[in-house]
Amino acid sequence: MTASPSRFGLSRRGALKALFAAGGAAALGAGGLSALRGTAPEVAGLLVLSAHGYRTMNALAGACFPELQAGGPLQGRLDLARDFDRFLATEPAAAQDEARHALTALEYGPVLFERRAVTFSRLAPADALAHFDGWAASGSALRRQVASGLARFLAMLFYDCPAVWPGIGYEGPLVPGAGGAP
Amino acid sequence: MSGEVLDLSRQPPPPFLDAEICVVGSGPAGATAAWELALAGHDVLLLEEGPDRTGRLLTQRDAEMYGQLYADRGARATADGTVSVMQGRALGGGSVINMCDVVALEDDVLLHWSRADGLSGFSPREVAPLRELARADLSANRPDEAQLNRNNRLLRAGAGALGWRGEVMEHNRGGCAGVGACLLGCPLDAKRNARFVAIPGALEAGARVAVRVRVERIDGGSSDVKTLRCVRLDAEGRSAIAPFSLRARTVVLAASAIGSAALLLRSGLGNAHVGRHLMLQPQLPVTARFDDDVRFFRGIPQTFAVTEFEQRAHPQHGWWGFRIEAVGGTPGIVGSLLPVRGPEGRALMAEYPRLASCLVLFPDEPTGSVSVRADGRLAIDYPVGAELVARLREGAKAAARAWLAAGAREVLVPSPRPCRVTRESELECIDALDFAPATVPLISAHQQGTVRFAASEASGGAAPDGRVYGTRDIYVLDSSGFPSSAGSHLMTPIITVSRLLARALA
Repeated sequence: MTASPSRFGLSRRGALKALFAAGGAAALGAGGLSALRGTAPEVAGLLVLSAHGYRTMNALAGACFPELQAGGPLQGRLDLARDFDRFLATEPAAAQDEARHALTALEYGPVLFERRAVTFSRLAPADALAHFDGWAASGSALRRQVASGLARFLAMLFYDCPAVWPGIGYEGPLVPGAGGAP
Repeated sequence: MSGEVLDLSRQPPPPFLDAEICVVGSGPAGATAAWELALAGHDVLLLEEGPDRTGRLLTQRDAEMYGQLYADRGARATADGTVSVMQGRALGGGSVINMCDVVALEDDVLLHWSRADGLSGFSPREVAPLRELARADLSANRPDEAQLNRNNRLLRAGAGALGWRGEVMEHNRGGCAGVGACLLGCPLDAKRNARFVAIPGALEAGARVAVRVRVERIDGGSSDVKTLRCVRLDAEGRSAIAPFSLRARTVVLAASAIGSAALLLRSGLGNAHVGRHLMLQPQLPVTARFDDDVRFFRGIPQTFAVTEFEQRAHPQHGWWGFRIEAVGGTPGIVGSLLPVRGPEGRALMAEYPRLASCLVLFPDEPTGSVSVRADGRLAIDYPVGAELVARLREGAKAAARAWLAAGAREVLVPSPRPCRVTRESELECIDALDFAPATVPLISAHQQGTVRFAASEASGGAAPDGRVYGTRDIYVLDSSGFPSSAGSHLMTPIITVSRLLARALA
């Protein structure tokens, strides 16, 4: 096992610290938090993420890239949350746990850090983006690391998608790959 | 097996894989060592964890190629997420995914190693002929004016307007058509790199080469015969198929400053210096927007460097200061480094053809470390201290000035609240950057120092001849031995030092 620590970097202890740092959980309790999160739709074929984790990652992808939102031109053509799930499937178990904890912390972030009565995946995309940008600029190195890791993963995959290239003036690879043109 | 590369993801290792000398890692260091040692008549086995990818298997697609050709699929980073540690993992190592820059191991560095680090055997007189051999291996040549793309010309124009020194670097290209995806490997096989020079040389000299094999541990490090515990990896390089062992009398570690140290640590070999003294030589991306097309993703990405702020012979540090180099990139890596998301991020990437970019390179103190956690995972720790922060700010401001002088409409320094500069008076936003962990994305392409050469084991992990202290016939011949930075680009110094030490070993 040679993989580096995941860039998502949120050990279970760190996740708990992040989750309860604002003190909101003490008032809400675990049951209250869970109720706010609600039930996530079942997602077939997930390898590592839960339906909740998939929903959080999907919401983040939509917030970062408006084309992926419901009704957007790329809705249904790119499933970055599933790509993340597949990526995690071949990571060490510890890295998988870190990623799951990171997404759980992000899901409850609006409740615990902004005292909202709604979790991340239930925010409007603009609000979700603002909340996520807050993580990137946070005074907590842990939250910054989570934001950086997730944002970079999503961007790498999004801009590698041929459907995105016309919108950014990129013609694609000059030399067709062994699998044929992209 | 002779004369061909054996892919252990497709077949089990042949019987009698034992070797007189086993070289771990097939980048410029390992490939050169294998070549030299095979030429000297030794029985050499060269092992590589990554795949053999050439030609159209190099698809120029970010996600696939970072996944295939980079350690940890391109996601390797320091423990606090601040520095992306980019390392090649392929037959040919980092030379498959580098920018082809040929920068020699300079006399100033050698003299610093002698004076400051007390190293013998690295005098300019001893090294000079090998330096020229390295350039010959690489078919070093300087791109002509027509090969400088607009990104490089703009940086040169900006530096020139400010009266700053610069240079067009030599490269190891042959038949380059300006595909522009150098970081993802060249689909035209136009890099005269370890894959196409030293590896064929080693094979022709009788070395055996195997890919998709990871060495997990070395047993018997003080014994005459070492046992290398290995695993075969699957075709994607992500899962282990089956373990196996082989034996060798001599082991040469050339798995990078991260990999060589990690293997020694996992094997319980070496002294307390192993894993310490890591230098990452961080790079800071600075991007600019122009009104007209720049298309930095086409043509040779990196030819021009601003050398105004380099110090070749700092009395304490050797190579010091900072250096600014133009750089281009494919959409995935560029998008992942931009500091904004959502509609603002999309608007910025919509200007992809009009973006220009550079990297500011910083030599650093050996304050980082590599360790192995209890769960077996690698940890890379790297404090960004006050002195480096001060230079990061100065480098960012210099890069911004150069772009503005070249006519940029705006310069962006990536940070959580992006630093946008449109005029000199706005440079002060850079002074406000504290470079706290996981704020500004730094990149490391050059790792050094974790088993550093030293005259005594009180000061380093290896002797000046590369022998790992506390072991019998285990050597490091890669950049893990460098006691201070060998320069702005390591491919040529690595080949030079590897050949020097391999010939002594032979």
